Amino acid sequence: MRAPAAGDQAAREILLSMENVSLSFGGVNAISDVSFDIRKGEICAIIGPNGAGKTSMLNVINGFYTPRQGRITFKGVARAKMRPYEAAERGIARTFQNVALFRGMSALDNIMAGRTLKMKRGLLWQMLRYGPAMAEEVEHRRVAEEIIDFLHIKDIRKVQVGRLPYGLQKRVELGRALAMEPELLLLDEPMAGMNLEEKEDMSRFVLDVNQHFGTTIALIEHDMGVVMDLSDRVVVLDHGVKIADGTPDEVKSDRNVIDAYLGVAH
Amino acid sequence: MLYREAGQYKTSYQADQAVFPLLQDRVGLLVILFVAYVVIPLTGNDFLINAVMTPFLIFSLAAIGLNLLTGYTGLLSLGSGAFMGVGAYACYKLTTYFPDVNIIIWIVASGFVAALVGAIFGLPSLRIKGFYLAIATLAAQFFLEWSFTRVAWLYNHNVSGAIEVPQRTLFGVPITGPNATAETRYLIVLTIVVGMTWVASNIVHGRIGRMWMAVRDMDIAAELMGIRLLPTKLLAFAVSSFYCGVAGAMMVFLWYGGAESTVFSINQSFTILFMIIIGGLGSLLGAYLGAALIFVLPIVLRFVPPKLGIPVHAATVEHITFMIVGALIIFFLIVEPHGLARLWQIGKQKLRVWPFPY
Repeated sequence: MRAPAAGDQAAREILLSMENVSLSFGGVNAISDVSFDIRKGEICAIIGPNGAGKTSMLNVINGFYTPRQGRITFKGVARAKMRPYEAAERGIARTFQNVALFRGMSALDNIMAGRTLKMKRGLLWQMLRYGPAMAEEVEHRRVAEEIIDFLHIKDIRKVQVGRLPYGLQKRVELGRALAMEPELLLLDEPMAGMNLEEKEDMSRFVLDVNQHFGTTIALIEHDMGVVMDLSDRVVVLDHGVKIADGTPDEVKSDRNVIDAYLGVAH
Repeated sequence: MLYREAGQYKTSYQADQAVFPLLQDRVGLLVILFVAYVVIPLTGNDFLINAVMTPFLIFSLAAIGLNLLTGYTGLLSLGSGAFMGVGAYACYKLTTYFPDVNIIIWIVASGFVAALVGAIFGLPSLRIKGFYLAIATLAAQFFLEWSFTRVAWLYNHNVSGAIEVPQRTLFGVPITGPNATAETRYLIVLTIVVGMTWVASNIVHGRIGRMWMAVRDMDIAAELMGIRLLPTKLLAFAVSSFYCGVAGAMMVFLWYGGAESTVFSINQSFTILFMIIIGGLGSLLGAYLGAALIFVLPIVLRFVPPKLGIPVHAATVEHITFMIVGALIIFFLIVEPHGLARLWQIGKQKLRVWPFPY
């Protein structure tokens, strides 16, 4: 359990703030009127039963969906509509529930692809692959190697990711997101389908990312043990409505949360 | 045993990021270049150079162009024949307007015209994918082919409706037109193809190549990593059409010596598409292997039996060639759906551990 003092948390700067965000598909309200903040440097978990709107929430944050109404402020700048690549340029990275790696490329190339935004040399230099273009390539290879070191995937760096086992694919995907050096990292079920040992490894990586790089993390996870141990704060959604928001301890004893998960006696 | 990386230690990331990290590959490449530049021009007869090697290289270049688009970026196109035509007609117009500028410059410059046209017809690719995009590029194919026939300005109002290649020289040596020798034209084609293959290899191994492959493998994730889809796809269309355009210009100026619009018909597009499917999508080597199988193999089948003294009627040979090539294509697709380039890779992997199975 790593719960910082409440006063400390309130003092932290707000990185992302969602105000009255609603999203609907046709007549179905995926998210209705949800507000919460993510503060700099914290690990914030978004939990809820299936179909609660968690993944939709992440899709709204990184611009994949445009909310019907509401205000999203990231790093102090409010935006109405944002394309996914703009979110990436502003420092939001994410991983996917079903691994969305570039299957035909090696693990190293996947991580190098995460550096795309940081690489500036244009087509002419790329055509020559010499001088500045090569220097840039080598410089980013060095960063990629640091990430490979960090995630202990040295032995698979040249393996095509489509051939890797699931757990390693998830790890490469985390590496690819880290390569973007994001300020806000969104993890969509990073431990889904893993065994206990893999979950422990992944939890360790998430904590290390948070502590070493100071990355703010928002994660969706179904394993409550993991959620309660990792996160500083938990936001609970149910049927697109926020029903609780607080430290893991507060949320655990919240009446609404227990009802949502266990059902209500009528 | 012979082909393995043992003992070749990489001490810098630069060495490890090289296109050919293995010494054996680099030696092999030099041998191939030596054969292409020295052995073939010195020992080959006119037939080998003019009817086999030159067109093989031109088709390989067009296949590389389409492979950049379809194999690397995942955008299916049926317009490559038309984009080759754009290159050919652009080169013809340019060299008749400015006859004093060297033709090699115009051949390369005509690629830019093809790139522009390709980028325009690539615009729908943001919204449509897969087979539907193929149909959209089919519109480019038909529209451009129609232009080549109907817009008389394109062929300088020639009565025959065809473009005829005028004689152009380089340092006083004729390189196009009827007086150019097969060797000269071959060497020019070879140089352009080698140079452009080198550039293509540089592009696909760097940032832009990774962006293309990212779009191919998972466009949603690519966009969430900051890759803008439209510019990336348009760049792929432009570069691909550039390659096709140069190939088309070379085809008319350095091989045929003249052409009508039918040369750039839908059949040409299909031929090139087959080359990259059989050779291997997403592999530059595959473009060469595919061009070799589709273009060179029929020639070999047609001319080798008579040479061996097997008396077969010409028409029979023609039919048998069709059957054998067709059967081989099916055979290769069943044995290795990822193309000849993958077979080559598997072979290399086997060679690495030979004589042991693992």
